[in-house]
This record gives sequence, structure tokens and C-alpha cells, in this order.
Amino acid sequence: MKKKHPWFSIRKPLSPGGARLMTVLSFLGPLGIWCLVSYTPFFWHPDVKLEISADRDDTPTVFTFDDHLSKDFFPTFQDAVRSANSAIFESRETAGSSRGSARVIRRANLKKLRHLGPLAVKEAWIPRDKENDDSAIYQLWMDMAKGAVPNVSKVLSAENMEIVRSNAELMARYGDRNAVSSLPDVPLLSLIPQGVSANPSYLPAPHSVFSAGYDLFLRGEDGDAGKMHGRLMHSLSIVFGGFFLSCLIGVPLGVFCGTYALFSRLFEPFVDFFRYLPAPAFSTLLVAMFAAHDAPKIALVFIGTFFQMVLVVANTTRQLDVSLLEAAQTLGAKGRHLLGRVIIPGILPNLYNDLRILLGWSWTWLVIAELVGVKSGLTEFIETQGRWRNFDQVYPVIILIGLIGFGSDQFLSRLSKRFFPYLNPGKREPGVVERLQNWANEGRIDPIAEKRMKKP
Amino acid sequence: MSQTIQLPDYREQSAKVRERFRALKQRPVKLEVRGLCREFESASGTVKALHDIHFNVYRREFLSIIGPSGCGKSTLIRILSGLDEPTSGSVLLDGKEVRGPGADRGMVFQGYTLFPWLTVKKNVMFGLEVNGGSGCSVEQDALQWIELVGLSHAKDAYPNQLSGGMKQRVAIARALANQPKILLMDEPFGALDAQTRAQMQSYLLQIWQNVDVTIVFITHDLDEAVLLSDRVVVLKAHPGEVQEVIEVPVPHPRHLGQLITPEFLSTRNRLEELIHPKSSGEEKRLPIPRMTQVGDDVF
Repeated sequence: MKKKHPWFSIRKPLSPGGARLMTVLSFLGPLGIWCLVSYTPFFWHPDVKLEISADRDDTPTVFTFDDHLSKDFFPTFQDAVRSANSAIFESRETAGSSRGSARVIRRANLKKLRHLGPLAVKEAWIPRDKENDDSAIYQLWMDMAKGAVPNVSKVLSAENMEIVRSNAELMARYGDRNAVSSLPDVPLLSLIPQGVSANPSYLPAPHSVFSAGYDLFLRGEDGDAGKMHGRLMHSLSIVFGGFFLSCLIGVPLGVFCGTYALFSRLFEPFVDFFRYLPAPAFSTLLVAMFAAHDAPKIALVFIGTFFQMVLVVANTTRQLDVSLLEAAQTLGAKGRHLLGRVIIPGILPNLYNDLRILLGWSWTWLVIAELVGVKSGLTEFIETQGRWRNFDQVYPVIILIGLIGFGSDQFLSRLSKRFFPYLNPGKREPGVVERLQNWANEGRIDPIAEKRMKKP
Repeated sequence: MSQTIQLPDYREQSAKVRERFRALKQRPVKLEVRGLCREFESASGTVKALHDIHFNVYRREFLSIIGPSGCGKSTLIRILSGLDEPTSGSVLLDGKEVRGPGADRGMVFQGYTLFPWLTVKKNVMFGLEVNGGSGCSVEQDALQWIELVGLSHAKDAYPNQLSGGMKQRVAIARALANQPKILLMDEPFGALDAQTRAQMQSYLLQIWQNVDVTIVFITHDLDEAVLLSDRVVVLKAHPGEVQEVIEVPVPHPRHLGQLITPEFLSTRNRLEELIHPKSSGEEKRLPIPRMTQVGDDVF
């Protein structure tokens, strides 16, 4: 009979297949939601991305990045342009001639023609290099009115087709060959704004993020990849520099605090106080102390991790089973031997885990550290691209930092089996591939933590 | 409950037994406990854990300390080992006062206390190394002690690959490797199941009979105390005082088959009386009402 593995059973393992499925889902789930939001137009999409814009003088202009308008505002915008058009009609009929000089009107008319440019390029009605070529755009208008451009009526609304015909008719009356210079001195109608549903620009679609990431980190030709690798190395040097520096002092100090009441009383109260001081608050001080290079950044990562480290390591040291120390004493161990032969080897596995967690902490300080003084590394890229609102460039970098942190932690956790074989004895050490398989099969993220949980 | 066998009084020693204990007390005193007191400060005032304890342990003797829970057995052995200090009184080892823990008094704890990061062999080598030994001789020594406790096959195993009994055998080998003047054992088999415990008792008797070692053994198991010991020190609680020192008449060499001999049973009964004076002989009835159907009786 097949063994049953119910999905919901309290503190029982899932079947291997079920566990593997859940592990995969834990990553695919969020990715799926992202895709769903990005690729289904009826899902969220609170913005309209303008394909045809318009200038308007009687509607307050709200600048939105990347031609995005909120869906609420878009009809108001369209109505404003419509009423401007009807005003133009009226002025044509009543006055015959219009306000302002012919030159001003011609320039305004030219602008109105140009609004078709971006869409024309997108639909490949004109080549990309002709986007700013006024005579090409003029020709396009005339061709569209004649019906010589394919697919126009599918892209443009009926309302806009009407406007195209009307404008072309007016333009045909004025000019022939040298079209741009002979635009009508009567105002042309504006195209009614048209757009497509879009998500806010801070949530780019997955494909654009991944292609941006590919370009940034993997494509070598245009030099971006090289630069990004340099940035990455620089960021890594800050993180690991700060982390190792704080290990260098923090681990011995923590072990001493956990071992000798003297050190504990002398250091821990102050360290405990200091860890509540927010590390970023020291940024300007650090720049003043260490000048604006890497030193203040490393110092900030140091401040962010060191004080926690001392306390965590001291605590870990104190948690060592005191009976082991007593046993060692009855065997004749004293002072130096107790520290070197019992305390340090005894706490090593837990210390290793503490340092893994603290390494994660120092990654979180990285971004703030790199903003200190002269911005540098991956953070500078995130900052700059973020300010330009090139969010599709920002996400790959953030994801990369996550992958490095997650990957290195996984690596270190695997490595701990090799360092501390006595923690899970009786098992043959699996190879790399086998380990990956195990990981996928059993969904075990952290064997040590699990082991700890199992212990009473 | 009526007694079916008439047991001899445990004090009725045969001439042979009397001679044995006379010879025992002629041996040099290994450990002398003189007027030992230990008080603990607590929120409700001073608690006397141990009060004016006197006894001697002679060379090669196996002495058990037994008593009801809370009588300060563990405090006593911690003081003997040097891990705790007496409020007053003293402990003399070979005539010298004990100060702090040292390699001359080996100790085996109830909770194994093997170093999990060291293999069996390295665990046994630990004491030898911290006492300045080095090189091949230490390893040879360690292997010899491991062989003595019958664990040669597991010398490269880590402690958490071993069963409780095996761990405790390693702990004994580790303590003996230092060749201590006295071996202190604090309820060493308390965490083991009954079968393993019996086996360990047998092992310990064999070791004691063949190795020059004096043993002070703490237990709460009466059978164990009688089976293993030359003499049993019975403590009473609140405050912890020596109630009686019983000379066990069971002949040597000891083995598990002696558990039903008259000497054994009479000594055991005497211990039972001393430790559980009220309950001796009479079973306590639980206030259980009848909850079975008539005709459903099991007897």
C-alpha cells in the first residue's frame, strides 16, 4: 500500500515530492504574482501609458514620469483636448483669422503634427531615425489620410482618424511639396490623447528586468558588464571588509565576555548601550574621521555588526554546557586549556552559525554604507538609476544582492557539515550534486537550525 | 505483606566478614571527610545542605553514598571533587587537603559529559594531554583504557554515535586514564535503562576488581548500592547528615547473581528502612473507587 502523506499534518514531514514542490513554489509563487500583475492588463494596471500625447493650455499639467497618467485623470485630459478642438472649430468659423501671428500658429501646428511621432515609430510607420524629421511626419499625416498606411485604423481611434483626415485636408489646401514650411496659418486640430493600460513605472515587467540584468551583468560588449563587476567587487570588499574587521575584534572579545565575568562586566554594559545607537547616524562623523573613501563605509558596516557580534558571541559562549567545563576540570584542565580545548571547540558550531547570521546583517548595512561620503559600488548604481527612474535597471541589482547573500549563506551552511562532522555523524558526506538534490528533495534550507529545533 | 523468608539480621556478620572489614580498616585512608558542612543562601534564609559529615574511604574500597532526594548527595560529591567548596570542614586526600578540582580525583557524571567534538580516543586522551603527556605514549595509554572498557571497535566514533551505556564506559575510561587516586561517580547509571544499567554494574565490578582504584559512588538505587559496595554511607535529608554506615556482608567477588542471596536482601531491607522509614512494609493504597462491572474482575 502506498504510504499516505497528508498535506496538513502537524509537525510531520511532507512526502519528498511534496516537499520539493513546495520549495519550488516558494520561489515560483512570488514570481508568478509578479508575472500576473505585469502581463494581464485587467489586473491592477492603475496607469495609462500615453501613446499619443497632447499639449493643453487650459488643463493643469501634472508631470508624470515615462508618460504615465493615472486612469482617473486620463478622461479629464482627453476631454480637455476635445474641448480645445471644438474651440478651434468655432474660432475658424466665426473669426476666419485667429489670434496671434501666423508664425506662432504654424509652430503650434507643427507641434501638433509631431505628437504622432512616437506612436509612428512604435508602429514602424516611419523608421526610428526619422522620428524628429518633420517632413517625414508631414508625409505620414498625408499618407494616413489617403489610407496608404496599413493598420492605421486599428491603432488610431475613429475620433482621431477623423482628425487626421480633417487636418490633412486643411494642410493639402495650403502646401504641396515643401510641406513643413507651408503649414496652414489656421490652427490644426490636436489628436485626442490615446494610451494603453500600464502598471506604475516602479513595477517593471519581469522580462524587462531580466533583460536589463542580462545586459548589465552578462553582456560584455558594451562595457557595462565590466563596470558592474567592478561595482560588485567593490561592494563585496565593503561587506566582507567590515565583517572580517568586526570578527577580528568581536569574536575574541565576545568569547572573553562569555568566559570571564570580568570582561563581561567591563564591556557588555557599554556594548549593550552602543548597539542601540543607529549606525547610519555616525555616517558624517565617520567621513570626518576616515575621509571619503572606503574607510568610512567599512567602518559603518563594522559599527553595524560589531556590537551585535560581541553580545551574540558572548551569549553563545555562555550557553556552552557548564558540565563539560566541570568534566574538563576534574580531568586536570586549567585556565588556558579550558579556554582552548573546551570553550572554543565547544562553541565553534554555534559560533559558526552566529557568524553566518551576522554576515547577513552586514549585507543589510551595505546599502547605507555605500551612500556615505562618495557614493560607490552597487548602491551608487541603484541610486542613480533610481533617480532617473530606470527601475528596470534597479531591480536586477537588488536581486543580485539577494542572490549573493542567499547563495553564500547556503554555501556556508553546507560547508558546516564538513567543518563539524560530529554534529550529524554516521552519514557519508554527499557530493555537490547530491547535496543540491537533497536540498531540492527535502527542502532543507538550514540543516543546523533544524537539528537544533529537534533537540529538546 | 507478610515476609515469607526469615532473613538474618544484616549485622550478624560471620567471622569471615568481620575479618574482611577489619582488614579493610587497616588499609591506608585514601580520603578523609572531616566535619563537612555546606550551607546555601536562599531567599527564605540559610539552607543546610550538609551538616557535620564524617567518614573515611580506605584504599581500594568501594564506598556508596545513598540517601533520599535532597539529602545533598550531589553536593557532597561535588565538594569531594573540588567543584564546590564546603562552608566548613575539610576533605583530605592522602592526608592533603583538597582545593579545587584536579586530575588526582577522577569524576564520572550522570550526564556523560563527553566532548562531542572529540572522538572516543581523543576524549580519553584529553586528560593525559592537559596533564602534559604527549605523543605516542598518550595514544597507546588511551587505547589501552578503551580496550579495558571494551570499546576498541568504537575508538574513532564521535560521542553522539554511541549509546548511553557506551558513552558512560568512555567516561569511565577517560577518568581512569589519568590514574586518579580516587574515582568519584555521581549517579553514573541513573540515566540508563534497567538492562544496560545491570550490564554497566557488572562492567564496573570487573574494572574495580582489576584496577587499583578507590571508588566513591553516589546512587539512589538500593540494589546497586548493596551489590557494588564494601560499605554504604546512608545520608538523611534536612539537614544532610550521616545516618548510618552499613558494612555490606555480601561476599566478594560480587556478581549479579547475588541479588537474591539472604545477605543481600537483609542489607537491602535495612537500607530501605533507613531511607523510607514510613512506607517500609506497607503498601500505600490509592483512593480508587470501583469502576469495573461485576464479573469483570481480573483476579
